[in-house]
Amino acid sequence: MRRLAWIAISTTAVLAALWSASLAQSTSAPFTDAQARAGRTAYAANCASCHQANLAGAGEQPPLAGAAFMSAWGRRTTKELYDDIRAQMPYGRGGSLDAATYQNIIAFILMANGAHAGDKAFDGSEPVRISTIANGQVPADIATPRRAAAGGGDEGGAGGRAPAMALGQTVVGNIKSYSPVSDAMLVHPDPKDWLIYRGNYQAWSHSALKQVNDGSVDQLQLKWSWAMNEGGENATGPTIHDGIMFLANTSNTVQALDARTGELLWENRLGPLAARAYSALRSLAVYEDKVYINATDARLYALDAKTGKVAWKTDIAEPGKGFNETGGLIIAHGKVIVGLTLCRGQMPHCYISAYDARTGKLAWKFTTIAAPGTPGGDTWGNVPDDMRAGGETWIAGTYDPELNITYWGTAQSKPWMQASRRSGTAATLYANSTLALDADSGQLKWYYSHAPGETFDLDEVFERVLIDHGAQKTLMTIGKAGILWKLDRATGKFLDAKQTVFQNVYSGINKKTGQLIFRPDVLAQKTNTWLSACPSAAGGHDWPPTSYDPNNDLMIIPLNQSCNLMLGHDVAQHTGVVQPEGEERLFFMPGTDGNMGRLAAYRTGTMEPVWSFQQRSSFLTGVLSTDGNVAFVGDYDRTFRAVQTTTGKTLWTVRLPTVVQGNPVTYEVDGKQYIAITTGLGGGSPFAKPSSMLGELHHPDHGHAVFVFALPDKLTGKAN
Amino acid sequence: MRCRPSAAIAVIIFAVIAGAANAADQKYATRLTAVAYDGAMRANVQGDGQVSATLDGNKLTVSGRFTALPSSATNAKLYSGAGIGVPGGPILDLQLNGQADGALSGSFTLNSKQLAALRQGHVYVQLNSQKAPEGNLWGWLLPEHPFPGADMPERGHGFLPQVDVPGNWVEK
Repeated sequence: MRRLAWIAISTTAVLAALWSASLAQSTSAPFTDAQARAGRTAYAANCASCHQANLAGAGEQPPLAGAAFMSAWGRRTTKELYDDIRAQMPYGRGGSLDAATYQNIIAFILMANGAHAGDKAFDGSEPVRISTIANGQVPADIATPRRAAAGGGDEGGAGGRAPAMALGQTVVGNIKSYSPVSDAMLVHPDPKDWLIYRGNYQAWSHSALKQVNDGSVDQLQLKWSWAMNEGGENATGPTIHDGIMFLANTSNTVQALDARTGELLWENRLGPLAARAYSALRSLAVYEDKVYINATDARLYALDAKTGKVAWKTDIAEPGKGFNETGGLIIAHGKVIVGLTLCRGQMPHCYISAYDARTGKLAWKFTTIAAPGTPGGDTWGNVPDDMRAGGETWIAGTYDPELNITYWGTAQSKPWMQASRRSGTAATLYANSTLALDADSGQLKWYYSHAPGETFDLDEVFERVLIDHGAQKTLMTIGKAGILWKLDRATGKFLDAKQTVFQNVYSGINKKTGQLIFRPDVLAQKTNTWLSACPSAAGGHDWPPTSYDPNNDLMIIPLNQSCNLMLGHDVAQHTGVVQPEGEERLFFMPGTDGNMGRLAAYRTGTMEPVWSFQQRSSFLTGVLSTDGNVAFVGDYDRTFRAVQTTTGKTLWTVRLPTVVQGNPVTYEVDGKQYIAITTGLGGGSPFAKPSSMLGELHHPDHGHAVFVFALPDKLTGKAN
Repeated sequence: MRCRPSAAIAVIIFAVIAGAANAADQKYATRLTAVAYDGAMRANVQGDGQVSATLDGNKLTVSGRFTALPSSATNAKLYSGAGIGVPGGPILDLQLNGQADGALSGSFTLNSKQLAALRQGHVYVQLNSQKAPEGNLWGWLLPEHPFPGADMPERGHGFLPQVDVPGNWVEK
């Protein structure tokens, strides 16, 4: 009897679902065929670069067609979809298109989800429940679009896509003054140079230069500037050696410039053209006679430092499978060590890999997702191997030459939320961990799982800063939760933790083990239910890295203050694609008076705060500190600023043409100290959240460039 | 075990000071900002506001102002959730004057549960409006703390008022 009842219920449910689907397919939607066709063109021009031509989404850009879209939007109305897209899109330029274009794009999105055009044009005001007109079945010609011919990049449009330009080497260099960079020079960098992404192997982003100091910084002047490639995400930092600036542009264009004058010495446009406003070339590396770049298409290049010609290249991951590079790279003990990103269920899993710097030959790989049957494989519960996603390495690692260990952070597992991921509070190794790897072999020396069961896209992936406290070798890092961690970097033992920004995800910590305690309602989460998280996915701290001033034992940290409600979708346990599968609603962090930006200094010996200041705008650069007792940082509101390191007092500001984004560096040529910083657009949450929340702050949606400042010649006695 | 006199005196002094502190008025404040929103909701959850509150024993007095709502305010309440920044359910009704711009106020005797929630920062003000009936502006009542202003650094402890609220972070 019970079985009969079950069959009857099941049959009724199936019939209801079929009826609903047929209704959705047969009901004419409130748009015309002409609107949908025009919308397809507008979508390609304005949306496809992030959401992809087949509307499948990528990275943090959600799918706009198929089951995931219907899960998020099926219960909502066409008017809400129109209002949402009009308010926020194109990315960073919400409201910038005319109303008819937005209406056409909505028509196309509905058509791409199986809706049928009717006689009535869509004007944005029709509140039709989307599940009554669309079923998420993507027409074949949209699901598998023709690929763009040019450049080999992703098919897409203008919202992040680089303007057309020829690829290849445009200027061949003939630099005489470049001297090979040795291992010893990397271990003890000359303050005149900026050889490593974060200044030194320890990621201090600190310089011993002090010509520009807290008494002179207010007289800084612009010495030269250089326009950089448009399109893509510009968030880089120059590399400096022997008075030459090596600069990574979007579209994987590498340039050598005279660091004193800005004169171009060579240029190699490696390509492909940037196709989305997401994924930056955060750094280059120099070693011996070569410049190294891990291009955004997961290809590793070695260029001749004097000419810019390609010396060798190799694939970090199989082309065409959606893998990506964004974090830069580090050279350690003769090896080029790189990470891998956008690991969303395509196999193999993400890994860190090392290559012989002279030949490009693969030396080792370490996979950051533990497979079933391997050490740590049981930390994913019953999640099948091909649904274990995430563990990306968005940021280049650091290196301790004495221990010969390289340290990397890993991103969270995906889907974001525990309930969607079906892994409970299990650690999902090696996601959201610090990894200590032997630089020669890639062997795991130790790992530390910072946030087992993390559930709000709160990565612990960012820079690992190596600081010695007396005889104790420590590693310090801070993730999106805003908790500053201190570990013993020889053993991985937890030493201390400190909240630097408000968070409400965790209600406490075991100070002996570092084990975080989730807020009770976080543990009780269900799919399709909103749950609060502070900070939001923009992170209390995100990719803009810290600086460590050894003179004052101060770590200066760019922080962000926003919160969100997050909703996790039900995720089918199919294979091959694992998206974040979450929706967000943003709000300002309680107790901040609407200020998103916070810059704070902590004494690392005691973990005690020294100073902090807040501002409306988010900080979008790393911090550079110097022996001159000054620290530099830039923000979303176009301000580049110097503060006094010991007090946080602002000493100098300048407004630049657009968002100040990247990593400031300093160097010296002919006795003059220079400060360089880039402007840039694009990026994930740190850029997108202020774009959405700080509507009163405006910036041009172009203007990628590098700006170089120095003191007047009358103060330095050196002519420029 | 014998208790040393100096320790006992210290305990008594601490108790007196703590009692005096409790007896004094406690000030709370918040800025009202948009509730959690996505793009579809954004146009309807604009506006700004400030609210202050005074706790005298278990008597709570609330007053505040709001401005520039996209539609007329319909009601305002105190809500309580499971943490700072965690939405919950309504607990007390506030009086409302005005439409797009206006004032809110209220005077209440809190029960022990409400009192505990307030002291932990779990109580928030939510203002609803015609076009945002499920929330237009909100703000969590936290102990009053000064904002030095843009570009002005705060020094030492105390610049994370949310973290200083007791009970939200336990170190074992």
